Amino acid sequence: MRAREPESDAALMQRFARREAPAAAVLYGRFASRIYGLGIVMLGSDAAAQDLVQDTFVKLWRSADRYDESRGRLETWVLLVARSLAIDALRRRVLEARSLETLGRPPEADQRPQPDELAATADMSARARSAMEALSGEQRAALELAYFGGKTSAEVAEMEGIPIGTAKTRIRTALLRLREAMAEEQRDM
Amino acid sequence: MTCDEVRELLPEHLLGTLDGPEDLEVRRHLRGCAGCRTEMAALSEGVEWFARAAHDRTPPPELHDRVLTTLAQEWRDTDAEHPDARRTRWVGRAAAVVAIAAVLAWGLTQTHRANVASADAESYRTVLNTLGGKEFRVGTLASHVAHPFEGSVVLYDSHQGQSWGIVLVRAPGVSGKATVTLSSSDGSGTTVDAGTLEFQPDGDAATWLVTSSDLTPFDHVTITAEDGTMLASADIEVA
Repeated sequence: MRAREPESDAALMQRFARREAPAAAVLYGRFASRIYGLGIVMLGSDAAAQDLVQDTFVKLWRSADRYDESRGRLETWVLLVARSLAIDALRRRVLEARSLETLGRPPEADQRPQPDELAATADMSARARSAMEALSGEQRAALELAYFGGKTSAEVAEMEGIPIGTAKTRIRTALLRLREAMAEEQRDM
Repeated sequence: MTCDEVRELLPEHLLGTLDGPEDLEVRRHLRGCAGCRTEMAALSEGVEWFARAAHDRTPPPELHDRVLTTLAQEWRDTDAEHPDARRTRWVGRAAAVVAIAAVLAWGLTQTHRANVASADAESYRTVLNTLGGKEFRVGTLASHVAHPFEGSVVLYDSHQGQSWGIVLVRAPGVSGKATVTLSSSDGSGTTVDAGTLEFQPDGDAATWLVTSSDLTPFDHVTITAEDGTMLASADIEVA
């Protein structure tokens, strides 16, 4: 047989939907580190990050047959599924903390930083870190609020004290500039 | 919405923070605008690089087994909850194959050749869309021996890793078995064993295969007798 071309994202997800364990292993190899890292950054603990990876893969399987390659890249889809679950987990924490306060019990102070704070102190991997330097502080802050905090442009604008149009521009420019910077990094390799 | 308006909203669409009606508008626009889709792809790459930069950490090794074990349990529980689901899917696929084989066999009897190309194009596309496939391709066998040897081959190229092929033959006077081989004309020498024909007393024979492999490169079929004699061949073309 001829050498096979790399498997498409759609084909991989179809195999995953058919419960093929090797496909699950491939997906794990491709995405687990980023989902785990997202959990560390957003949820602040190894245990919560591991739970996030597990929950994400279960959710990916349950929705695998709905993945549509024409509507977006698999990597982006996986990341946003994971991020959505992380935001849900953070909301649950807030609700739990509030209900404890309502009951008059001393709340267990959540010492873990909130996503916005965590995002600001996120540890960057080496190569991508230099690409991140292509962003201005304002662009990066806007992107981190939108990405980690799940904030709308209006919310970013309010938090940063800037017009909404400026918030939109900062997020968009940050993403495009990061892409260009990474392309340059790759060319220099 | 204009392209400028859509592009302003693309980051929020991508990050999932756009309100329903606006999000729907953006989706509609994207379906019909290659330029905005290109911009969307660029922004997606930006998100992916940001993710690599901001949160790429090696998970503990034991997490791998934990996740795969969890998935195995999930699959088992789904089977327990819907015991017939998988079987139904397979029965459905098998039924589709049998139905198409029956249609082809009927066509073979009536006209002695498969001519899917003559089918109504719209119906053809409807069938294809329903099955989720790329194309049907067909070939009419040409005899390489002195006696009658006719038949056809149909290949179905799937988008879903479920391609299949059917070979139907009528060769009165031929007995025993013959091997069906798919090959590619691209010079790679790649071949696939597509099964064995076992001739009935009246000379009819059929075989079929279902595979997760990509059959698209294969555009030629040969049928070879047990003694190595080539009995028939066909070029396979889009129906």
